[in-house]
Amino acid sequence: MAGHGPSADVLIGDKDSFAITNSMVMVWIAALLIILFCRAATKKMSMVPAGFQNFAEWLVESLYNFFGGILGDHLVKRTFWFFGGTFMLILLVNYLGLVPGVGSIVAYDSHGHYHPVLRGGNADLNMTAAMSVIFAILWFYWAFTENGVKGFFSHIFAPKGDFSGAMKVGMIIIFFLVGLLEIISIFIRPVALSFRLFGNVFGGEVTLDKLMHLVPYDWMRFLPALPFMFMELLVGFIQALVFTLLSAVFLKLICEHDDHGDEEHAH
Amino acid sequence: MCSVTVAEHNIQLEIHTHRKMFTILAAEGNVITQLTEKFGISWPLFIAQVVNFIIVLFVLKKFAFGPIQAMLEQRKNRISEGEEKLKRIETQLAESEERTAAAIEEANSTAKRLIDEAKESAASLSEQKTQEAIASAQGILSKAEEAAKAERTQMVAELKQDFGRLVAATTASVTGKVLNDDDNKRINDEAVASIEG
Repeated sequence: MAGHGPSADVLIGDKDSFAITNSMVMVWIAALLIILFCRAATKKMSMVPAGFQNFAEWLVESLYNFFGGILGDHLVKRTFWFFGGTFMLILLVNYLGLVPGVGSIVAYDSHGHYHPVLRGGNADLNMTAAMSVIFAILWFYWAFTENGVKGFFSHIFAPKGDFSGAMKVGMIIIFFLVGLLEIISIFIRPVALSFRLFGNVFGGEVTLDKLMHLVPYDWMRFLPALPFMFMELLVGFIQALVFTLLSAVFLKLICEHDDHGDEEHAH
Repeated sequence: MCSVTVAEHNIQLEIHTHRKMFTILAAEGNVITQLTEKFGISWPLFIAQVVNFIIVLFVLKKFAFGPIQAMLEQRKNRISEGEEKLKRIETQLAESEERTAAAIEEANSTAKRLIDEAKESAASLSEQKTQEAIASAQGILSKAEEAAKAERTQMVAELKQDFGRLVAATTASVTGKVLNDDDNKRINDEAVASIEG
């Protein structure tokens, strides 16, 4: 018996070498939909937008302004492609996971175990970890290119404020220790990002699955899960927002220069 | 003996501590293994998802955000250019209105001046013409008077001559005497004197 476990089911291949999992297929479907939408929206672009172009422009501009409010004009220009793309992908993958049939249409293997043919893409920790790791790499890249190596480390370890004498020595030690904690915190953040998204999406799927099995008749299985479907719509949006918003805030905090914003350096 | 025991004890304690650390590390390793197994994390799947994600981001950047942001930027530039042009046009319009108003004012003042000058000129011309007409009329009058006077004088002279001749002829016929020039002259003078008297 397989089914709704925390790990994705392998549809083709071997998990330890090359495999296509049901959550991977969902990510591909989401990516394909996004690409098709983008192609349709940007095929015949005109100065006076209409139809798909209008919607796509509204979406991109809204996201750009939203992230611009957090990151500032300079950083958002450099990084919008990541935050905008990640938000759209997470949102669509989350919503596709709620489409009837995803998780409930199953196939049986030779051992009699059933496996969902499709599964919410973000209910696979490999996917959320992949996004978090890529963010972490870009995060460091952007931080180093914005502040330089020296600026990056002084931002973390250098004492803030104007001290002298013994107080200065004390502050250097304290800020060094705080910097160590900060380094640990920096490495934990991507892990937290991936587990948060995975946990919420996977938890939602399990909740819906369990609720559907609360009633004895097949024809009324949708009923207990129905209110939670609406909640999952909200959760799907909020989790996409939380992932990208937190990433943007982390980036903003690490790219802040020491001459302004030390007070806000509360991680 | 006692010091050796203490040293051995310390060594044993250290070994125990190290063993404990290794056990903890091994347990942690087990936990991580358990976690990855439980959540189905494997390198191939993880790498596949990384590749998926990178491809999606690349495609979105290339085919969605790139063109859309370029279009938004282009429109923004066009709007700001339009705004600038509008401002320029408004400024030009204001300047043009100012210039027009100034030109109209200048034209008005010039016209007024010209009208005044024309009026003055017309009045002066009219006066001059009037004076000329008056002078001309006076000239005509005086000439006419002189002419009339001369004519009258001439007529009087002729009349006097005719009267003298008539008196002389009458005298000659009455007296039957041929009058010489002196007689004629004297008779004429007497006749004229009697008329003037």
